[in-house]
Amino acid sequence: MLKQYPTILYVLQKGLWYFLTFIAAIVINFALPRLGDNNPVDIIMGKAAQGLSQEEAKQKKASLLASFGMAELSTRTYDTVGYECALNEKGEAYLKEAFVPAIKVTERKIKDSAGADSVVNDTVGIFEPKLDASGAVMKEAASDSAGKPILDSAGVPVMKNVMQPVMVKKIIHIEKGSVVYSTTPVLENGNPVLKEEPVLSSSVVQFFAYIKNIFHGDLGLSYSQYPKPVIEIIKESLPWTLAIQFPTLMLGWIVGNLLGAIAAYKRGIFDKVFFPLAMLLNGIPFFVFGMLLVAAFSISLGWLPAMGAYGFDQVPSFSWEFYKSVGLHYILPFFSIFPILLSGQATGMRSMSIYELGTDYMKYAKWMGLREGKIVSYIFRNAMLPQLTGLAQSLGAMVGGALITEMIFSYPGLGMAMLTAIQQNDYATIQGCTLMISICVLVANFSVDILIALCDPRVKAGIQVGGK
Amino acid sequence: MSEKIFEVDHLSLHYLTRFGEKVHAVTDVSFSMKQGEILGIAGESGCGKSTLVSGLMGMCIPPLYPTSGDVRVSGESLMNRSESDIRSNVLAQKISMIPQGAFNALNPVRKIKDIAADVIAAHQKQGSPSSAKEIYQRLCERFDLFGMDTQRVLNSYPIQLTAGERQRSVIGISTLLNPRMVIADEPTSALDVSTQKEVIKMIFDLLEKGIFSTMIFITHELPLLYHVADNIAIMYAGEFVEMGTAEQVVKDPRHPYTQALMGAMLSSESSQRSRKPVAIEGAPPSLNQTIVGCRFAERCTRACPDCKKNTQSIRMVGDRLVRCDYAK
Repeated sequence: MLKQYPTILYVLQKGLWYFLTFIAAIVINFALPRLGDNNPVDIIMGKAAQGLSQEEAKQKKASLLASFGMAELSTRTYDTVGYECALNEKGEAYLKEAFVPAIKVTERKIKDSAGADSVVNDTVGIFEPKLDASGAVMKEAASDSAGKPILDSAGVPVMKNVMQPVMVKKIIHIEKGSVVYSTTPVLENGNPVLKEEPVLSSSVVQFFAYIKNIFHGDLGLSYSQYPKPVIEIIKESLPWTLAIQFPTLMLGWIVGNLLGAIAAYKRGIFDKVFFPLAMLLNGIPFFVFGMLLVAAFSISLGWLPAMGAYGFDQVPSFSWEFYKSVGLHYILPFFSIFPILLSGQATGMRSMSIYELGTDYMKYAKWMGLREGKIVSYIFRNAMLPQLTGLAQSLGAMVGGALITEMIFSYPGLGMAMLTAIQQNDYATIQGCTLMISICVLVANFSVDILIALCDPRVKAGIQVGGK
Repeated sequence: MSEKIFEVDHLSLHYLTRFGEKVHAVTDVSFSMKQGEILGIAGESGCGKSTLVSGLMGMCIPPLYPTSGDVRVSGESLMNRSESDIRSNVLAQKISMIPQGAFNALNPVRKIKDIAADVIAAHQKQGSPSSAKEIYQRLCERFDLFGMDTQRVLNSYPIQLTAGERQRSVIGISTLLNPRMVIADEPTSALDVSTQKEVIKMIFDLLEKGIFSTMIFITHELPLLYHVADNIAIMYAGEFVEMGTAEQVVKDPRHPYTQALMGAMLSSESSQRSRKPVAIEGAPPSLNQTIVGCRFAERCTRACPDCKKNTQSIRMVGDRLVRCDYAK
């Protein structure tokens, strides 16, 4: 049914490919911190466990595991047989079938008439404790294993005290349920001891939990700025990066292309001065240029501030003072990128335009007596098409490539956030930043893809006839 | 009818290279045309045919510059006039051209109707702009004459058309403003035989309908020219070497080069099947230095020692012009 709307079909097709690329980016992001025996929670625990007791640390880890969607949550049905830890003849710890535990209760969340959640306990079945010959509750287990945990077949303790059977709960609807621990019997100093380990879920489950978290904006907690969520860090830094990069890029692209086209068309003295200058600027790495600007305008002349996005004495607010401070701090970073970007675009546009000037349709247009303005627009329109691809690339590099500029000017952008994260092994933040960069690259490329399709009839016609 | 609407007087053109060297691509070309005449110009690749077109349009695109001579349309000289003057008063209205390679001649990012509208807009008198609708109406009327699928062609981009459609669109655009004369620069070279025929037919339809009457037809295919042109001029190394009626030049060539060119033609006539085409040995002289003597002498089978010393001047042999002292 979409056959009648080839443009929509085209956009959807392109969109699908970009979405697949996005998923690939997520997969890489997901897999990297899990290489080897690592997992993101252990890394964070390095920081989070500081100053916590063992029990608190265990709870912390459990809650982290649950929030990462990495551990099995207690949603399983339980066995009706209890086990306990004991020694066999060889002196190895093993799980001994101990008794039939008590009542199995299912906990269910429902919505009451007021619309609020309430919990209902459903008794699934009642299991009588095992009785001995005299009809009393078996006591031998209780007497010699007082305090020893009783386990089910998965090693989950179900009873603390045999005399008082505990209820085994099955919770159907869990938001953040408790983490399931696998308990294995081990020997410690000759005594059978139970060792508790959280049960990690399979990587497929982890992956879908990761994706779900991403779409909920949950990128985990920062290690270096614990317990700040990564999404907060990105929310604070990304606007600064976009604010400095996007206008600079667009302005540099537009002005550079105009100047390049003019240089190609006018030639003469303008071209003779402009072209070598552009080549020179194009050759200077922009961090060198940035440092030169800082040295000249900030250190020697003292006209402009060189550090930060606003003055140290300012607090972000909607005040005139604050805007003025931001504006002043904007100038140097802007001019450290702008001329270099401009000259890069201009040299490219100049050679493209010179090529276009020599084409047959230009000669024909001239011979048909078209006015100069029209001819320039012909050149610009055609020479601009390859430049659009260049725009896609620079837009893509925009977010990631901002690092060096932000370093020089201590600009609080995403590049800076990522640098700090890398220096402190803050994997969660690095992951969040790279994911943000992937998204920006993809969005930029997608938009330019659509833009090219709109501007170039060769692509457009290809869409209309349904060609590849 | 005998009024000369187009006169070319000893026209020479040169290219200026980066190092200040001059390449004399066209030397001493003179001819005149009457209303309704069709002049064919033929010659091998690189002999200056397309360069000559630039000169004849009065619009030399650098690095091409006129050296000397004059071009007059209805007695009005085109030399030493400003570019904007030529553009607004001469091009497309008095002289128009049909370029070779129609695909490359059309701006790939504009629809045919937009390219045509640009041409109309460029020559509109100040103060009387027609609306886009009027222009489109005018285009439709004109393109309907060509027996084309007007609506589709006008609303297509060049890549969406076949080679024949493109070529016909270009002819349509070139003749939109009813020019007094048209220079067709190899309009059929890149086309297959049947499309060629269509295009030729279209050009003659336009001639019949009186949209234009005088034409210079440039090609390297002499047999085609024989059918199309009243008069034929043969060009070699930037010079006209022979000029006469089509019958004279094709059936009874006098200049050694024209004769050699005829010998090199392939023919499908059965009587000619056994005849092997003979390629002309050697290559044309380089034009970036002054050439002494006859330019064809190096390759001429009948050259005598004097040929390399004496510059040949074009002269009347019978009722045609030949640039060879020994032609009879």
